[in-house]
Amino acid sequence: MPAKPKIAFFDFSSCEGCQLTVIDALQTHLGLLDQVEIVQFREAMTEKQDTYQIAFVEGSCTREADEDRLRAIRKQAAVVVALGACAHLGGVNSMKNRWAIGNVQTYVYGEKNKETYPSYPARPISAVINVDAAIPGCPIDRFEFLHIVQMMLQGRVPKLPDYPLCVECKLSENACLNTLGKPCLGPITRAGCNAICTTYGDGCEGCRGFAPEPNFEYMREILRGHGLSETEIDARFTMFNHYQLQQMGEDAPLSPEGLQSLNGELPTSTFAAPKEAEGHG
Amino acid sequence: MTLYILPKEQLPVFVDKLKADFRVVGPVKTETGFAFDDIKQAEQLKLDYPTTILPPKKYFLPQREVLFNYHTSINEKGARQIDTEPVFQDVQPTIIFGVHTCDMTGISLYDKVFLEGFKDEHYLARREQILIIGIECLKPCDDASFCKDMGTLTAPPVYDLHMTEVESRYLIDTGSEKGEELLQKYGEVKLATTDDIRDLSRTLSAKWPRFRHRLKMSRDQLPSLLTINYGAITWDHLGERCLACGSCTNVCPTCFCFDVQDELDINMQDGQRTRLWDSCQLHEFALVAGGHNFRESKASRIRHRFMRKGKYIHQVHDILGCTGCGRCERACLVNITIPGTLNALHDEMQLDANPAAG
Ligand code: SF4
Ligand code: SF4
Ligand code: SF4
Ligand code: SF4
Ligand code: SF4
Repeated sequence: MPAKPKIAFFDFSSCEGCQLTVIDALQTHLGLLDQVEIVQFREAMTEKQDTYQIAFVEGSCTREADEDRLRAIRKQAAVVVALGACAHLGGVNSMKNRWAIGNVQTYVYGEKNKETYPSYPARPISAVINVDAAIPGCPIDRFEFLHIVQMMLQGRVPKLPDYPLCVECKLSENACLNTLGKPCLGPITRAGCNAICTTYGDGCEGCRGFAPEPNFEYMREILRGHGLSETEIDARFTMFNHYQLQQMGEDAPLSPEGLQSLNGELPTSTFAAPKEAEGHG
Repeated sequence: MTLYILPKEQLPVFVDKLKADFRVVGPVKTETGFAFDDIKQAEQLKLDYPTTILPPKKYFLPQREVLFNYHTSINEKGARQIDTEPVFQDVQPTIIFGVHTCDMTGISLYDKVFLEGFKDEHYLARREQILIIGIECLKPCDDASFCKDMGTLTAPPVYDLHMTEVESRYLIDTGSEKGEELLQKYGEVKLATTDDIRDLSRTLSAKWPRFRHRLKMSRDQLPSLLTINYGAITWDHLGERCLACGSCTNVCPTCFCFDVQDELDINMQDGQRTRLWDSCQLHEFALVAGGHNFRESKASRIRHRFMRKGKYIHQVHDILGCTGCGRCERACLVNITIPGTLNALHDEMQLDANPAAG
């Protein structure tokens, strides 16, 4: 039997939720360890080796120091896989990209410490290195993770569902939230999570990225029908996908103010005060 | 064939008796509407339901169906060997209660598609064990229905039993020997008298005015309407709006397209070949090796759906591909509807023929 492929896990700016999902998947599908050897996984083990064939990278690139680390991983690994929305899209981290980075740092660390943790706008790892495959989601879906690993072990190019979430939602016979007064981004979001949020009654927030031919114009129309303002719609569109929309430049399907946010030009007056802090400050 | 009566209060007794020997499914109340589901208690069965998101087609062609299991190994000669073992999923004696006449029309189309000519053995195995108990619609489900236009307001000969609510009783027609046996064995029924039959005819003739026409043309004209309008501008308008979400086809009782996939187990040796619902509205549907897509634009995919509904399926199976159930209209978030589209084609044609009228 040929040697088992060595795989390694790395994290950048992330909440580690995706790595936790991998640990979860290993508990229910122990057989995976017969197929691969895990040589680095900070979240799960202390030993580590620096030779590996497949690298799973969680988290987005948010500072200059990340770039060298990413390039080193790319150099070592035959296959690099973006693990989860942060690595795949930029994810929720990219919400900060709406404002000038200096203002964000002052807001988070205070005037005195604003230089302590230098950072820049969040980007998916594909903005820095070539990425061979992505496992979308915030967090990833454990079955999709296993499925994609299997495809790679067979030497096949992992394929993601190429259609909107509504397909999975309808196959589960869910009543459509958009007709029940709850905004849902399902029509423009890539399927593959088995419509987990909508099945439990929450509108999709687009964590898996856009489906291949998103109809933004009519998605906005549907969201307007819920009484959402143009800015609120922009915020929904950019929650996980700020970077993708920024790549579209002037063509991004956002309001004028939304376009401003893409370039990090929103005034600090639009910072939302954390709810629980209200009244204490 | 033969008409019986079942007093309404006897229905739960009938259902309970059936449950001893069959899986009984039918319309039940959900949080937001109704759905076909297993009847656990006879009282759950709601025969006066308006409509469901998915039609009963899910019992004939499950959303995901295992066709066979496979096992791969290396044999003594060192060659790769694949052993397969067929699977027949969800094959069990099943009674589907409360099927509307439009959905029975969908089932008759399914029977033609899967059993005429090449017989799909997985479909057949399930089908042989399914008995259909229809319910006559006495009023439209809602404003999206246009069953009257599509001629599906009367039951096609696909039912084993067909019930009509007439005051305090159901008049039950037997459509097959199996249906007849079912009544004899499990139902406290009596033969209908001439009075019962007179009441039934009254009920049936009273129902028609409650249904409205929504099409500006007759259904016989659909194949030619669609042929003439292949190049209509209407398709482009719809293509702009369409989300390519596939909801319209997934909820449709006549859509039967599927995809076949191999799903490998974590041990990398065993796996399952599965059949999954697919939709012509999705980008990948007409994508072929080499990257060419026969229906790249959403406009061409919508047109294809309408051509299927009003022309192609009719050409092959001699039955229209739309029952007028209205499910696609309820599911579509951008209000692309069958009557709206067919009427728009009709209007566009009038306009072309007589530009001054515009
Ligand atoms: S994608 Fe979501 S769950 Fe995964 S690391 Fe990022 S924030 Fe956490
Ligand atoms: S709830 Fe969301 S995902 Fe489900 S059908 Fe409606 S729009 Fe699509
Ligand atoms: S429903 Fe939407 S937000 Fe929820 S997991 Fe799926 S893609 Fe992400
Ligand atoms: S096309 Fe629409 S109205 Fe016609 S049968 Fe299908 S779902 Fe029902
Ligand atoms: S349901 Fe409506 S939006 Fe979705 S694919 Fe069908 S026509 Fe297009």
